[in-house]
Amino acid sequence: MEILQDFLVPFLNFRLLFLVAAGTFAGIIIGAIPGLSVTMGVALLLSLTYSWELYDALALMLGVYFGGVFGGSRAAILINMPGSPSSVATTFDGYPMSQKGEAKLALTLTTIFSFIGGIIGVIVLAVAAPLVSQIAINFAQRDYLLLAMLGLLLVGSLSKGANAKGIFAAGAGIIVGLVGMDSIGGGSRFTFGSLQLMNGVNFVVAILGLFGMAEILYQMKNVASKGKVSILKKTAFPTIAFLLKFLPLSLRVSIMGVLIGALPGAGGEIAALLGYDHAKQTAKKPNRPFGEGAHEGVIAPEAANNSAIGGALIPLLTLGIPGDAVTAIFIGALFIHGLQPGPLLMEQSGDLFWMIVGSATLANIFLLIFGLLVVSIFIRIVTVPKQILLPVIAVITVIGSYALNNSVTDVYWMLGFGIVGFFMKVHKFPVAPLVLGIILGPLVDTSFRRAYMGSEGMGDFLIGFVNSPITLILTIVFFFTIFSQTNIFTKLKNKLKKV
Amino acid sequence: MKKNILIIIIIFVLAACGSETENADGQVDNEDVTSSYPEKNIDGIIMWGEGGATDIIGRTLAPIVEDEIGSSLVMQNKAGAAGAIATQYVYDQSADGYTLLFGAENPNLYQVLDISERSYQEDFVPVSIIANSFAGIIVKEDSPYENLEELVDAAKENPNELIFGTTGEGGLPSVVLAMLQNELKSEFRTVPYEGEGPVSTALLGGEVDVTSVTVSAAQEYVESGDFRMLAVVNDEPIDSLPDVPAITDAYPEIGKYLPWGPFQAVFAHKDTPTGVLEKLTEAFETAIETDEFKETLANLGMEYMNISGQEAIDFVDQNRSTSAWMLYEAGETEKSPEEFNIPKVEEE
Repeated sequence: MEILQDFLVPFLNFRLLFLVAAGTFAGIIIGAIPGLSVTMGVALLLSLTYSWELYDALALMLGVYFGGVFGGSRAAILINMPGSPSSVATTFDGYPMSQKGEAKLALTLTTIFSFIGGIIGVIVLAVAAPLVSQIAINFAQRDYLLLAMLGLLLVGSLSKGANAKGIFAAGAGIIVGLVGMDSIGGGSRFTFGSLQLMNGVNFVVAILGLFGMAEILYQMKNVASKGKVSILKKTAFPTIAFLLKFLPLSLRVSIMGVLIGALPGAGGEIAALLGYDHAKQTAKKPNRPFGEGAHEGVIAPEAANNSAIGGALIPLLTLGIPGDAVTAIFIGALFIHGLQPGPLLMEQSGDLFWMIVGSATLANIFLLIFGLLVVSIFIRIVTVPKQILLPVIAVITVIGSYALNNSVTDVYWMLGFGIVGFFMKVHKFPVAPLVLGIILGPLVDTSFRRAYMGSEGMGDFLIGFVNSPITLILTIVFFFTIFSQTNIFTKLKNKLKKV
Repeated sequence: MKKNILIIIIIFVLAACGSETENADGQVDNEDVTSSYPEKNIDGIIMWGEGGATDIIGRTLAPIVEDEIGSSLVMQNKAGAAGAIATQYVYDQSADGYTLLFGAENPNLYQVLDISERSYQEDFVPVSIIANSFAGIIVKEDSPYENLEELVDAAKENPNELIFGTTGEGGLPSVVLAMLQNELKSEFRTVPYEGEGPVSTALLGGEVDVTSVTVSAAQEYVESGDFRMLAVVNDEPIDSLPDVPAITDAYPEIGKYLPWGPFQAVFAHKDTPTGVLEKLTEAFETAIETDEFKETLANLGMEYMNISGQEAIDFVDQNRSTSAWMLYEAGETEKSPEEFNIPKVEEE
């Protein structure tokens, strides 16, 4: 009974209700603007809410968190620029849908399935937090290595047929990802003695450059030709039957999303990419091929990244360990308001846990409402003339890359990536594998080395891949994924079908 | 019309910038500078990211200091390269007391680890050492080692068997590990993680056998029974965990390196006019003394220090000597502390 009371606190208290709503709305806007990230928004709120009551501050921050992750998909679909790192995968099919005049359908679908993903994340948080956090802390370095390598296999999916170019781009990305101070050996890599390079390359900057600035430069090629403003098909609200078709997929990727989100070393961006890949592997009859506007291609990453939020909150609330960059800021907020995030938090302040679950539920409800209500406003972005839209976005990407760490170096990186991305687009190199390399390269590097350092020699290292349940499952999945792409597998499958 | 307004604004902004630089370069006589200080906003540069201990301390302190000094303190995070980016940034600004560095102990090792040329000793002057903390040596609750001697003996008997989790070269655990290895001749295998959070997670998951983090970071887990703290790296038990023995109980030879541990402090550029520095120190001293701020420290598990002047300089020096020579003797540094005239810790 007490639990229900705490859970309902944000529903019944008008001020909290308002703050969650305002946060979610602001989050959608912040997320939708490429360059203004969720992390930045929440960090800003942290300094703004120093003197607030704890519940008020948390309600607002949770709203921005959920709204922001969701909002990232708006820009991804409408202008091919992910508004936040976790919506990179949404551009793959979201933008093609938009180009085919289905922007409205894409926005509606992502809103509904972000809501479903988000709610599943919250449910898992509410009922299985201790269990999931056990899995998360037992996720060893080998498991991160396998997860990251599984992620790297995505290069195949993201190369759009140009495999050699895709692999090249991913390799370049891995090298870029390794720039800076090596967190294991302490040495400097590719820094040429420059202090600015020691900090490495933030992958958000790369995303801003490769998807934002590069897209602007690319579109500028045709900006003079008055160009046709994107068409907008009239679409009715999707029917229930149509939506139900995607429910099993969204449930699967949401569970994946929660688990990946709960891992301290992996977050929404990896969850969304793996969710996309899962959809691609399992969707029997997509309405169109993936990469050309498949409905599953926008649903899966969005359900996965929103469910990852609930996941990221799990280690935060059960162990005081942040699941991603945003929850790291939540830890700061709890400290400031006199709480000690740690394994005792749930015991000592159970009311706080349920209040957070309640606010998160509420944030998802508002996300659905606002998301559906403002579809018609967002959609007008598509009809804004390029001469006006592009300069505005250019300015925002510059501000966004500076604001990441108050550093001009990041702006230079962003511009550099913009130019590189432009030429990649011109010469038909896929840019997504480059981002994939930057995100996953360092993870492969550090997890491989830690796993090896922690074992006694090669034999012990290799045995480690089969002697724990989580690792064994991941090893099997990894090899199966590779095997499933070979000719032998296709032949086997055909034979089995005949039988 | 609108264009004209814009041009006028731009001219004004440029003019304002221009006059600022003149002031900075012109080094007007000291008394004038001191009496008029502060006549504009002061920038506080935090060397770690949002939500960390340095950030929390800086941001809680800022509004209280603002009231004292009568000017706004604008806080900004410039994380990266273990704080070296923020350190360099503050060093590059004019030495007028309008840019302050909120930092931890890390710059004490920049030179020997070849991260940056900057050091607290040569480039900065402490405004105030706000607080300090201690390192604790921790194992998981199901570990067979009940006290530090058992752990050290096990590491001597089976060298390179036990895994010691660190936070990378020059981090707090690496110095504690160097103490165990140099002074006590025990040998551990090391696996470095990204920070205290990840290394604690690794200990929870059983990936490493032992690690060392700040007492504040471990305290919650010790209270919940997940971790057992074998010793605190100090010469006496500390108030927050009175049951944990001091490392010197078992190994008095460590005593000469103490007190040693992480700290949080505010620094100004070395050439800041003395009068300005005094004003700053006074404001920070009063602010740190407030109950409001002391509560924040207690929440963070940090110990109140509030020292300044020569006392602060000596404290920072001692910390550098211990860390730099410890790591050097463990073969972990790029360069010898001798190159930078870092005095060795003397036998008592």
